[in-house]
Amino acid sequence: MIPSLDLLLALAFGNLGLMLLAGRNPTAGLLSMILYALQGWVLVMLMPALAEGAASGLAFQVFGWSLSWELNGLGWFFAIITVGAAFFSAWFAAGAWGVQGTRSPWAFHVTLAANVAAMLLLLASRDLLTLFIGWELVTWAGYAMMIQSGGPATRAAYKYLIYGVAGGLAVLAAVVLIQVQAGGLGFAAVAAWMPGISTGMLWALMLLLGVGFGIKMAFLPFHRWQAEAYGESPGPAAAFLGAISSRMGLFGLLILLVHFIGLARLDELLLPLIGLDARILWMWLSALTIIIPTFIALKQNDARMLLAWHGIGQGGYMLLGVLVGSELGVAGGLLHVFNYATYQAVLFLVMGAVVYRTGTAHLDRLGGLITRMPLSYVAMLFAIIGLAGLPPMNGFVSKWMVYKALLDEGLPLLFVAAVIGTLGTILSVFKLIHNVFLGQLRVEHEQIREVPFSMWGPMIALSLIVFITGYMPGLALDLVMVAQTSLGFAALDYHLGGFVTDTGNLNMLAVVSVLLLGMGIGAGIFLLGGNKSKRVHQLDNYAGGHFLTTEVRYHYSHHFYAGLLRLIGPWYITLIKRLEGGIAALTDTLAAGSDGLYRTAYTPILMLAATVLGLALVL
Amino acid sequence: MNQQNFPVQVAPLESCREPGPEERSMLRKVLDRVGQYCQSRSLFVLHYCTGCGAIELPPSMTSRFDLERVGMQPMVTPRQADILLITGYLSVKTLKRVILTYEQMQSPKYVMGFGSCTINGGMYWNSYATVKRLGDYIPVDTYIAGCMPRPEAIQQGFLDLIERIDGGRAVAWKDYYRNYDRYLGHQQHLFGRDWLTPTDVVGEAAHYRLAGDGTLGPHTALLDQYAGYHQAWGVPREQYAELEASS
Ligand code: SF4
Repeated sequence: MIPSLDLLLALAFGNLGLMLLAGRNPTAGLLSMILYALQGWVLVMLMPALAEGAASGLAFQVFGWSLSWELNGLGWFFAIITVGAAFFSAWFAAGAWGVQGTRSPWAFHVTLAANVAAMLLLLASRDLLTLFIGWELVTWAGYAMMIQSGGPATRAAYKYLIYGVAGGLAVLAAVVLIQVQAGGLGFAAVAAWMPGISTGMLWALMLLLGVGFGIKMAFLPFHRWQAEAYGESPGPAAAFLGAISSRMGLFGLLILLVHFIGLARLDELLLPLIGLDARILWMWLSALTIIIPTFIALKQNDARMLLAWHGIGQGGYMLLGVLVGSELGVAGGLLHVFNYATYQAVLFLVMGAVVYRTGTAHLDRLGGLITRMPLSYVAMLFAIIGLAGLPPMNGFVSKWMVYKALLDEGLPLLFVAAVIGTLGTILSVFKLIHNVFLGQLRVEHEQIREVPFSMWGPMIALSLIVFITGYMPGLALDLVMVAQTSLGFAALDYHLGGFVTDTGNLNMLAVVSVLLLGMGIGAGIFLLGGNKSKRVHQLDNYAGGHFLTTEVRYHYSHHFYAGLLRLIGPWYITLIKRLEGGIAALTDTLAAGSDGLYRTAYTPILMLAATVLGLALVL
Repeated sequence: MNQQNFPVQVAPLESCREPGPEERSMLRKVLDRVGQYCQSRSLFVLHYCTGCGAIELPPSMTSRFDLERVGMQPMVTPRQADILLITGYLSVKTLKRVILTYEQMQSPKYVMGFGSCTINGGMYWNSYATVKRLGDYIPVDTYIAGCMPRPEAIQQGFLDLIERIDGGRAVAWKDYYRNYDRYLGHQQHLFGRDWLTPTDVVGEAAHYRLAGDGTLGPHTALLDQYAGYHQAWGVPREQYAELEASS
């Protein structure tokens, strides 16, 4: 087998076919794992060929349009994360979860395979038409994945579908516009055509494509659909969706903003009246995407919702980093894609395991599971440190790079915004681990046990990746540089332990070693210096002298952070609710207006106007 | 006493005996000396203030008399506290809480009885509901007499205690482990045969190598008997398994 894009796509679609046929078989999980591993292998083998682009032999003509695919560095970077996420999700579902955890393992395996295949097709697109086809496939495959568990999931998925189809239509409109104006849809052709177009046209394109891609990424103000849709999906499906699915939107935005328009052109695009340029506008939107969903996550009572809201917020760091435009910023933003995928997958898998054992992810109905599910606890601990962006985990490295890039480029306010987002993240991940794993074990959870290996295996493996790529970020930066150079940025000067720039450097090998040394000294004193600890029972606990019983709940979990929320609550109401209300009102007005236009008897005039406009565009 | 049935493995008595102060090696003596000095200069006090005397504590703790000068500070939980300060009368109901709190403190721990009520019942001597002698139920290191003692007296009491800790003479807490059965007997007399705390004093006695002839006895055997009725009070799980296996 010679590794090629053809082989990759054949494996992906072969997997889909296989799962359609044999998805009910108990070995289906193992089979699909093997196939994802093979896809990963093909991707790794493709790495040297990426500089010229790994073209696919798959090409056909439809109505005179020729369709063909080619994988470049950027697509490759996202593809390797996609396949990795699918591999670990499939592993999680391969054993007991597939038998008891889900209504239909067949549906899970098929939709996972379909998502991977659709995403690979999207990531390998070389022109806007294939991009659009991939886009629609991804949207529908995502929908199929979300409706699996039925009930509220169906509603959430339906909401997603409406957003997704609207986004798809916006992309389609942009594609038509570009075809009419530029006469070609190839990425290179479009990029060559873009510099010559008028500002108005550019705004129109940016709006259409930006909305289309931004919706998938749940970019503000289109953030409303995602948390529910991902949160309601079953464990490993949520892990896959949360880890990578919405990054397809980022992929699209990167092509649009960096490849087509270029950051320099964005700087020239001034907003009327305000005087801000388009790049700053995008950056502030990213910053708001970090802050607002993160603080919405803070008040969630369902662990999966909390994670899903964080997923939206973390997307902001990625785009913010890339838009800084310096080598460090771009590397930080892209590295965050990788890092985020690793720990978000762990977190959703852990919650999948908790739901599998306890039947709930409600943060008021859990607690004390550390004694029953210690491995899941360790996995979650690693992952939340990553999500919070603290050393020694990988999330720290990418966030640090974004912070440093922001400061280096003289954007202190955006830096503060990013840090506020991190603060919210730290608070809410503490709430997550505290309410699920720490504190008082509930009577009804006395008997539960750790999940089987098929479920803790992927969690622990991924959390080790979270740690190792935090200790040696160079390993992940190897992948990132492929994407970064493919996007047309200079490569960052990096090594195994971190990076070197003119204004400073970071060496995680040293940072983590010092950290581990400190912990080691502490542990040494404790263990060697006569560890006199004695375990006590959970109810042997001080409550002002009260005798605790299992009937008394002394684990404070309900309405966590009440004080903080009282402080920032009014902000939600004034800022977010009004913003959302405004957008809804605008949409209503537009809808009512167009409705009125169609209904009143000016049809001939409208037709005339449309024809004139159409002719004006074409000619 | 039914050793067989008792859930906690108590180490053989020989190995439990602490070497006496004179039998220790020179190095050990020096280390102990340093340890005692440090310990006596850094004491956290947990206040169990149910009686009237609590009102004398604010002046003792704050700038007028300033107990922080001698390294004392209030502490909010028993796990981190060194001194349990009990101000005044104890009703039967509060005594239960005091015993629980005392048992939750880590050794070495010191108890200070404050006011005449802790010594002999004080002016509540005739009451059916108050405890006459605190020292029957938990070992007390120092009493401060008076109704109520002034801050100067409190300060003097603390200074006495510090001196005794420094000299290695404040060892009442060891008595609780060595003669647990006697203390438990008094407690059961007051609270009933099924009196039980979620703590594991016998296990701790073994842990600190302080189990003696008086640790186990007829009263501790009752603990075992009633443990099952108080499942919710959480006797450690391993002990349940052993209990069930043995019964
Ligand atoms: S000793 Fe006096 S002041 Fe203290 S509690 Fe008893 S009656 Fe009150």
